[in-house]
Amino acid sequence: MKEINYKELANNLMFEISDDEISEVQTEFEVLFKQIELLNKIDTQNTLEMVYPFEFETSYLRSDDHIRTMDLADVLSNAPKTKQGHFVVPKVVK
Amino acid sequence: MSIKQYQNLNLDQVCEESYLKNKQAHNVLNHCVTLVDVKQQLKEAKAGKLYKIPYALKDNISTKGILTTACSNILDNYVAPYDATVYQKLKEAGAILVAKTSMDELAMGGSNKTANIGPCLNPYDLNCISGGSSGGSAVSVAANLVPFALGTDTGDSIRKPASFCGIVGVKPSYGRISRYGVIPYASSLDHVGYFCQNVYDASVLLEVLAGRDDKDLTSNTKPVLEYSKLLESDIKDKKILVFKNVLDALDPSSSAYQAFYQIVNQLKEKGATIKEVSFDQDLMRALFPTYYIIANCEATANHANLDGLRFGHQVSGSDIFEIIKNTRSQGFGTFVKKRFLVGSYGLYQENQEAVLRKAQKVRRKIVEAVLAELKDYDCLIAPASAKGALGLNEVCDDTLSDQYLIVENHMVIGNFAGLPSMTIPMGYDSHMPLGINITCNAFDEVGMFQIAQIIEDITGLKDLKKEVVHGL
Repeated sequence: MKEINYKELANNLMFEISDDEISEVQTEFEVLFKQIELLNKIDTQNTLEMVYPFEFETSYLRSDDHIRTMDLADVLSNAPKTKQGHFVVPKVVK
Repeated sequence: MSIKQYQNLNLDQVCEESYLKNKQAHNVLNHCVTLVDVKQQLKEAKAGKLYKIPYALKDNISTKGILTTACSNILDNYVAPYDATVYQKLKEAGAILVAKTSMDELAMGGSNKTANIGPCLNPYDLNCISGGSSGGSAVSVAANLVPFALGTDTGDSIRKPASFCGIVGVKPSYGRISRYGVIPYASSLDHVGYFCQNVYDASVLLEVLAGRDDKDLTSNTKPVLEYSKLLESDIKDKKILVFKNVLDALDPSSSAYQAFYQIVNQLKEKGATIKEVSFDQDLMRALFPTYYIIANCEATANHANLDGLRFGHQVSGSDIFEIIKNTRSQGFGTFVKKRFLVGSYGLYQENQEAVLRKAQKVRRKIVEAVLAELKDYDCLIAPASAKGALGLNEVCDDTLSDQYLIVENHMVIGNFAGLPSMTIPMGYDSHMPLGINITCNAFDEVGMFQIAQIIEDITGLKDLKKEVVHGL
């Protein structure tokens, strides 16, 4: 089993895990790898992935008509900081 | 009490009492995130099928102007800016929202212990879990606080708590009920469903909730039938599959095994055709890992937008990346962090073939195997769980046993294949309820309700309740 750097994995997901959490994560992955072995017992040669329960079409391309909008006030209502109708975040390009 | 019985009462008083009962019961069950004032709703109630019937919504269903937190700290201040379609439909039907209910954080769990507000308790035994992730909704019905409540089901999150709480839990076909406005977990497995106290109510609720919604392009265009008028059927016409892999993993002396076969024997006596079916055992042992990998990979992608920048509980930082990292580090509980790590691992390019795509292929194998048998039958039935609800501090000690992999996780088949599936009461394990699960062919909700009605008539177990608040 490849050695996993759990802190790096978490970092890439934009959160941190504490040293206490690491041992729980380690146990989680040990069980995961045993469960992947159960998957490997199934022959899936020539089998396509199933990504949705049904494979008939329910979506469509609609005409580019104005159907509905949301009030800007509602869109911004949960934002920690706004200015002139925009979400405000710290400057990225320094 | 059934919805019909509610309709004979002073409904304004009923709704006010429901609000107060939920408030009091919350001190015992810890099942509510938000109580919703009913007075204005009663003034504005529309004349519909559920006119002035009180109900509860799982807290991952968007309700404009009302907190919608998914029981996660990262959304603990999030007030939904729009209504979910199901909430809108219930308003049109005249129903009165009394509470937003507790759930496992972001719907990722099966115990309701991971809610940021603490565990939700089972009214049958306050030392036991309600089950999850829709635990709060389940207990609100089981404790007779409301006659129905909505939940979501990604891997049995309605059907398992229904079993643990002695009530009816329905997950219809994928796309039968719109998911617009429902905070997602795993989009290819998520279903909206509901809890109630009897099969008749279940049939009425689907009439209100089902239907095509162009705001959810996975929703189905099939017509919504008058399910409540189609409940009667002849048991002699019914062909029923018994899920043998589940029964083989149970102790034959257990309450679940005994109660289940009592029902099967009565179905046989009354003239139903019964066949025991055993699927490939390795395939059945792969049910849980298939679910776990697919669900966590999809969840990790779905929740990448929870960063505190546009909504949610932002934690400060010196730059944008630190804000996002601090927000997510403090906003997510350990349990969901573990799930996201599993999901991320499966999504890494070098792992996708061996992990995610393998799981997706096994999903297809499972679905093909089940549909090959089910196509000639009306339903597949099995106990919903090996026993009653676990104690709060009890953990499953062997997650590689057949009991865990198959008995406790077989209902994910309904999610993989989008099949309509419901759990109704079947008996007791000591004092704790047990449920039987019924899964039918896609969009055969009529057949599902008919079989459920037959079983409900056999057991006589309907309108069960375990009150924790008495009189007001």
